Amino acid sequence: MASSLGGVAAPAEGRSGDARVGRIRISLWIVVALGVVLPLLAAPALTENLSFSFYLMLWIILCTSFNLVAGFTGYMPFGYVAFYGVGAYATGVLHKTYGLPMPGALVCAALAGAAVSLLLAPTLRLKGVYFGIVSLALAVIFRLVVSMLPEDITGGSMGLILARANDPQTTYYVTVAVLAACLAAAGWLAFSRTGVALRAVRDDADAAAIVGIDVTRTRLKAWVLAATFPAVVGGLEAWYTNAIDPEASFNILVTAKVIVYSMAGGLGTLLGPVLGAGALYGIDHLIWQKFPVLNLMFLGIIIMVMILVFPRGLVGSFAQRFPLLRRYIP
Amino acid sequence: MLRVTDLTKTFGGLKALGGVSLHIPEKRVLGLLGMNGSGKTTLLNCINGLYEPSSGDIQLQGTSLLGLPTHKIAARGVGRTFQVPKLFPRMTLLENLAAPFTTGDASDAEVYERSAEWLNRVELYRLRHNYAEELSGGQQKLVELARMMVAQPKLVLLDEPFAGVNPSLALLIIRLIEAMPERDGCSVLLVSHDLTSVYQLSHNIVVLHEGRVLAEGGAAEIRSNPDVIEAYLGA
Amino acid sequence: MTADLLLQGLINGLILGLIYSLIGLSLNIIFGVLRVVNFAHGEFIILGAYAAYFLQRLLGLSPFLAMPVIFVMFALIGWALYFVLVKRLARSDDPETASLLVMFGLSITLGALMLFFFEADARSLDYMLEPPFLMFGNIVIPTTRLVALAITLVITGITAWFLYRTFPGKALRAVIMNRSAVATVGIDVEKLSAMTFGIGLGFAGVTGVLLAMIFPAFSPFAGADYTLIGFIIIVLGGLGHPIGALVGGLLFGVTEQVTVVLADNSVALLVGFALMIAVIFFRPSGLFGRQQLR
Ligand SMILES: Nc1ncnc2c1ncn2[C@@H]1O[C@H](COP(=O)(O)OP(=O)(O)OP(=O)(O)O)[C@@H](O)[C@H]1O
Ligand SMILES: [Mg+2]
Repeated sequence: MASSLGGVAAPAEGRSGDARVGRIRISLWIVVALGVVLPLLAAPALTENLSFSFYLMLWIILCTSFNLVAGFTGYMPFGYVAFYGVGAYATGVLHKTYGLPMPGALVCAALAGAAVSLLLAPTLRLKGVYFGIVSLALAVIFRLVVSMLPEDITGGSMGLILARANDPQTTYYVTVAVLAACLAAAGWLAFSRTGVALRAVRDDADAAAIVGIDVTRTRLKAWVLAATFPAVVGGLEAWYTNAIDPEASFNILVTAKVIVYSMAGGLGTLLGPVLGAGALYGIDHLIWQKFPVLNLMFLGIIIMVMILVFPRGLVGSFAQRFPLLRRYIP
Repeated sequence: MLRVTDLTKTFGGLKALGGVSLHIPEKRVLGLLGMNGSGKTTLLNCINGLYEPSSGDIQLQGTSLLGLPTHKIAARGVGRTFQVPKLFPRMTLLENLAAPFTTGDASDAEVYERSAEWLNRVELYRLRHNYAEELSGGQQKLVELARMMVAQPKLVLLDEPFAGVNPSLALLIIRLIEAMPERDGCSVLLVSHDLTSVYQLSHNIVVLHEGRVLAEGGAAEIRSNPDVIEAYLGA
Repeated sequence: MTADLLLQGLINGLILGLIYSLIGLSLNIIFGVLRVVNFAHGEFIILGAYAAYFLQRLLGLSPFLAMPVIFVMFALIGWALYFVLVKRLARSDDPETASLLVMFGLSITLGALMLFFFEADARSLDYMLEPPFLMFGNIVIPTTRLVALAITLVITGITAWFLYRTFPGKALRAVIMNRSAVATVGIDVEKLSAMTFGIGLGFAGVTGVLLAMIFPAFSPFAGADYTLIGFIIIVLGGLGHPIGALVGGLLFGVTEQVTVVLADNSVALLVGFALMIAVIFFRPSGLFGRQQLR
């Protein structure tokens, strides 16, 4: 068939070379994922202070899943924190108020995240700034609603203390597992045909529909996946700190940091958000300890500089600089 | 293959299509002429479901396409190019051509073979790892054509395939369109302002004027039709 | 009794709504001309309040006299910021979303700076009007609100006159309607854009003074709330539509104040949001917008 049409088949060396490119890219991602997960798995044996690695993992998960919607689908959900908050509250309330054991509560948090993302799916019809604004508004609505729920369930505006659950070691290892799952899921999505479909939809939804891609369904897949992980992360954080309250759980700064970290690394690549989260959370952590208020200011300035000077982030700029290496970057 | 019956489309008060009927037989090229704003692009948009027609019917091989979403119409074998190429700018050419296969069950090797074949036919194989945004306008038209053909459509809608293309590329595109009915086995609806090419390529020609069919027939008939001369070709 | 309360809420809503609509108006002028969603608008509003506070403290300037000063000050800042931040946005892959992000960054930066310099305590302007309240039957209206309303009406009038009667104003509306055509007609879009951003921020500053007069206490944290209110209003009225902002503002003001009467403050904000989301889904281009969702 195809190759029998004389003179138009791919040159053999081009074909095998291109197949190798794909394999190298996948292998690179596996190496990176292991390079992130294994040291973090070993961390408790090496250091007493788990807090830094714990939060590092949280940010990597948040940024990686944020990338699924912002980088691969092209939406900018300013209310991303809503999923995180819903997860935190689902976990906290189910555990504390209804006595559900922690693992069950976390699974329910994941389900709650997915459910909320389905509830909000109609917003995907909106484009560009409309989507951004509505998403932000929804996050505020969630915070208001949660703080208005009956106090004997959610603890009202004071939140809840989950003292019974305190077990940082276990929380830590569960988080490592979630991180591994997240990196695997993102890799699966990016390298699968759904990944190609997603990026096609991001680049031009009409053109994607023309070539037979179900735009709505494709977006929805990424959207639900991108909502589930932050919900689990919210639950993990609640478990780790043993406290939830509306202000912290729905803090817009969570969205801000997720945006900054992943943009700094480079949205639209798998590597970018991981790199960005690693580098910037490290810097953030150092500055934060010394100058809490100025830290916010730096965060703001970094956002502006990133977008004006390196809109495609570290990895994106690298790819622009070395176009020949671009095809190998996961 | 395609039968459009009494199709109308209005935008607010503006009647872009006022009852258009046309028919494309299997493996035939239908040329569609008409002045700027006569409704050609609107007709294509209705056929592949980007616009919802106000009334009338569109049938592909005897079944109506009305109400189907664009991607389902694509799955039935309707391909399309745009007046201004709509590629996936931040994806490589190979990925652009792989996009139509994200739903089917073709194997990876098969997808690669077919993409490579079509990149070769449009003479852009060597640029296969470039992002689409890095190509010139003319090259983008070629990639769009390849992305459409790689899915082996039954009917293709070409919106001004020669616009902004230099003569040697235009020649390549003409050869590709010429081969479509026999070699690729598809029917073609060709919208263009390039009269020579339309006359040369089409088995039949329809002239639209202000959303209505002004004339229909072979190249010779159209060329000598007084209405067409007056309304479209000018004095 | 409830009828009186509702009437009171309605009147409060109309007054506040008109003042809120100033926020929407300036946001919309900026978005219409520059396609920039000014996420930092609320912070500039609060900065306006602080400017009035310090002008009063240091120079003894009354808030009323401070307004023109602040307008000019903020307009100059806006003019400069246009060249530093906004102009570069045109080069990015998706300028509208990039603008949202850059302004988001600016809003965080300004919020932090204010927190750093002014600290978290609430401040208030120091002035009195005699009598503090006016009674109309059972309806009580603080005099400051009436004064603020009068000022808002004057500002709105001047703006309307500017937009519909003067050359730069007409050019500005022309840009809102069709950006590329205007450049070819020979209007200096660059200069116009810088001016627009200046005017927009000038308005934000003045709005801040007005809001500080009617809601006595302000703090660095309130910026985000005003930005949100502004967003609600422009989405209600239609993005980039100056008249729409007026209607959106009134609608939001009345909804908010009537809900305050019936329930409480946080519910009021919720209802405002619900209104906005309903409008987005049923009339995506806003009540007055004609433009498509891009
Ligand atoms: N989405 C739309 N909204 C409103 N009016 C539209 C829309 N699309 C097309 N029109 C109007 O429909 C009419 C036909 O437009 P169409 O694009 O089909 O013309 P055309 O024949 O393709 O012209 P050209 O040769 O310039 O490409 C025009 O008057 C146009 O303004
Ligand atoms: Mg056309």
